[in-house]
Amino acid sequence: MTTARLSAASARQAIASPVTFSIVVAFLLGALIILLTGTDPLLAYREMFDGAFTGSGLRNTLARMIPIVGMALAISIPFRAGVINLGAEGQMVVGGLAGTLTAIYATGPGWMVITLALLAGSLAGALWGLLPAIGQTRLKLPILIVSLLLNYPARAITGYLVRFPFADPTVTSSSTVSVPAANRIPKLPWFGGISASIIILAVLLVGVALFNRRTVPGYETRMTGLNSRFSRYGGVPVDRQVVWLMIVSGAIAGLIGTHLVVGETYRFLDGDLVVSGFAWTGLLVSLLAMHQPGPMLAAGAFFAALQIGGLAMQRNIEVPWQLAQVLQAIVIIMLAGRFVISRRTAVEPDTIIEGESTVTGEV
Amino acid sequence: MDYELELRGITKRFPGVLANDHIDLAVRPGDIHAIVGENGAGKTTLMSILYGLVHPDEGEIAVGGRPVRFHSALDAIEAGLGMVHQAFKLFPTLTVAENVVFRAEPMKGWFFDRTAASERVRSLAAEYGLEVDPDARIEDLPVGVLQRVEILKALHRNARILILDEPTAVLTPQERDGLFMVMRRLKEHGHTILFITHKLGEVIAVADMVTVLRAGKAVAHLNCRETSSVKISRLMTGRDVALGERTSGSAPGDEILRLEGVTVTDEHGIGRLVDASLAVRRGEIVGVAGVAGNGQNELIDIITGLKAADRGTILINGTDVTHRSVNERRQAGLAYIPEDRHRVGTAAHGEVWANLLMGFQRHSAFRKGRWLRRGAVREHARRLITDYDVRVAGDDSSVATLSGGNLQKLVVAREMGHEAPLLIAEQPTRGVDVGAIEFIHSRLLAARDRGAGVLLVSAELWELLALADRILVMFEGRIVAELEANGTDEEELGLYMTGGQA
Repeated sequence: MTTARLSAASARQAIASPVTFSIVVAFLLGALIILLTGTDPLLAYREMFDGAFTGSGLRNTLARMIPIVGMALAISIPFRAGVINLGAEGQMVVGGLAGTLTAIYATGPGWMVITLALLAGSLAGALWGLLPAIGQTRLKLPILIVSLLLNYPARAITGYLVRFPFADPTVTSSSTVSVPAANRIPKLPWFGGISASIIILAVLLVGVALFNRRTVPGYETRMTGLNSRFSRYGGVPVDRQVVWLMIVSGAIAGLIGTHLVVGETYRFLDGDLVVSGFAWTGLLVSLLAMHQPGPMLAAGAFFAALQIGGLAMQRNIEVPWQLAQVLQAIVIIMLAGRFVISRRTAVEPDTIIEGESTVTGEV
Repeated sequence: MDYELELRGITKRFPGVLANDHIDLAVRPGDIHAIVGENGAGKTTLMSILYGLVHPDEGEIAVGGRPVRFHSALDAIEAGLGMVHQAFKLFPTLTVAENVVFRAEPMKGWFFDRTAASERVRSLAAEYGLEVDPDARIEDLPVGVLQRVEILKALHRNARILILDEPTAVLTPQERDGLFMVMRRLKEHGHTILFITHKLGEVIAVADMVTVLRAGKAVAHLNCRETSSVKISRLMTGRDVALGERTSGSAPGDEILRLEGVTVTDEHGIGRLVDASLAVRRGEIVGVAGVAGNGQNELIDIITGLKAADRGTILINGTDVTHRSVNERRQAGLAYIPEDRHRVGTAAHGEVWANLLMGFQRHSAFRKGRWLRRGAVREHARRLITDYDVRVAGDDSSVATLSGGNLQKLVVAREMGHEAPLLIAEQPTRGVDVGAIEFIHSRLLAARDRGAGVLLVSAELWELLALADRILVMFEGRIVAELEANGTDEEELGLYMTGGQA
């Protein structure tokens, strides 16, 4: 088979793929809803598109992509080994505060303090991710549950810290003081001022892609996800692997948390990192992209544009931005449905065998 | 002539494969009709077509003389067919009776009639001699009983034609004999049975007719009273096969594996492995015999490092590995063909190359620091595919597409391709066809001849007698006998296996 034929086939596949189909259906259903509210759907979608891609919209979309894709990346790393880290949010919050405090109180040249802040944020996130990993490997407590539950103390502890020991006495909100201007992650001159964190994200994306496809631990991670008994049989120290994957996952989440404050809002406001639901959007992105960095970038861009466009639409023509969330939800439900249906009806030799080895693979 | 079941010109193409090529099959009512063929000959596709799971590209099916067209398994059931799959499809947390009546439940008004269900199962069981407690929970039952439950399920739905897909693959010899009695009883009651198997001895023992498939074609329909397993085997493979002939190796060399006083106790304080001591030397095959569940699995898990011993010492190649990891043991020279190739030995959704790499990914040949040497990995995979004749589309295809025998060849290729000095082979030929058995046996003997030590666990006594130099017999967690393979027979082994003394 030639490469040309392959790429033609994959292009056709992309158009007919459940992803494209779901997005089209979601927008059609969304149009219906907008119509019911008495607005012209085409106008609404035009506003959404313009809001997400023109003027300052493009920068806003890119800025939104940093936490969404970053959190997706964090979650995807253990997910490939079948380990579901629902505590990425807590790791982000804990890391965010550690990074912020470092940026506020450390002294030295700006670039050094920023580096220290990013390291501190990663370290705190990593430790918060390590806890559930130890829980699972030593005490047989499922990571899924422990990591999720640790989101609450993360929120509570950081909330206490910014309300009391590290509170800014000059404001009524519970937040830290501002990060000094010299210690903020700089903006790049592109797209009207995008945070330099986007470079870190790009490096991480490439790094994770290489790790997944080109390294021994990346291979071992995927095998554990496909069949952990097989991995164990092959000599992979699965427990140690889980611990490391959670550490890296937490570190990336902590890094993103640090970016959100030291690169965007400049003060750590209690609950600020949680309300936007980046960790959960990230989880969806990771799932949709089957945990692969390239597709995660695409899915992250889509959700970021949807959210930013939705806000613009609300601002300009008063269609509530929740419509964007409705679209997002429809896409996800459609995708889930499509995958289930295609698994149930396909009569390829592949799936016959896959069907819980009903028919042991013989063709 | 009236046939209970007739297939005419059944053809099915899958991408790149002609799985069934104009197959004709006629089954008389009340016959036990065996279908044999190597892995990949098209047996399972044919049965899937018959049971409505796969639609044929061409051909017709007639049941009881009436042409039928199945859109799903439900149509097939409606027409009086019942299938007992290789992998049982039962709800583990429900009782036998609940499983049997599922989707055809006796009702009392709007409610499920549990008593009637139990009664129905009890009477069916008594009628056909299928001993089973209707109120036992599925998860508590051994495999042999589960199979009876599957048969009862088909009978409950009034199946006249039963399809048994390799029913003996998972059974002990005793359970197998029980199944044959049930099959004969079913025949007496006028049921027709399609019996798919690899094992030619079983065909001769229980079937009336046999159809031989080779490369998607039905190459022969034979009357079992007028044929022999040698003849069938030649038709299946297209050549002569020699199984069960002993060849002895040269004198054994240094010790490669030693266990001393190894004990494993389970969570209830029961000894699963008690004070086991053994030695395997280079250039010999040591067999382990025993009825399933008498400590063989624990013995293997201890040696391979998947389970920790409570007491005792394990030495591989002179190194004490008692407290070493699986990986360190592999580095010390261990290779292991596991009993369960689906759940332990492979990752079904991984590619062929990824499955062939496992266990050796940290070898210096396949990595440079932490980077995979992808070229070397692929090349190694392609070499194993050729050397071990694994039939795959390519090193990139998913192993989920491989048939049972091919998958086993892949596992054997991976574990033997590195010429490790110690090989643990656990049921290496279970559920594979005669051609693959012959191939795997010759590889095991070749490993012995190049100086590897082999520990061979098998439920097939003839296999142990044919391959092993010495045979250890396990009973209730203990090694109760050590016998020279030349000086013993199935009878003596059987006696030790069941706890009797010779």
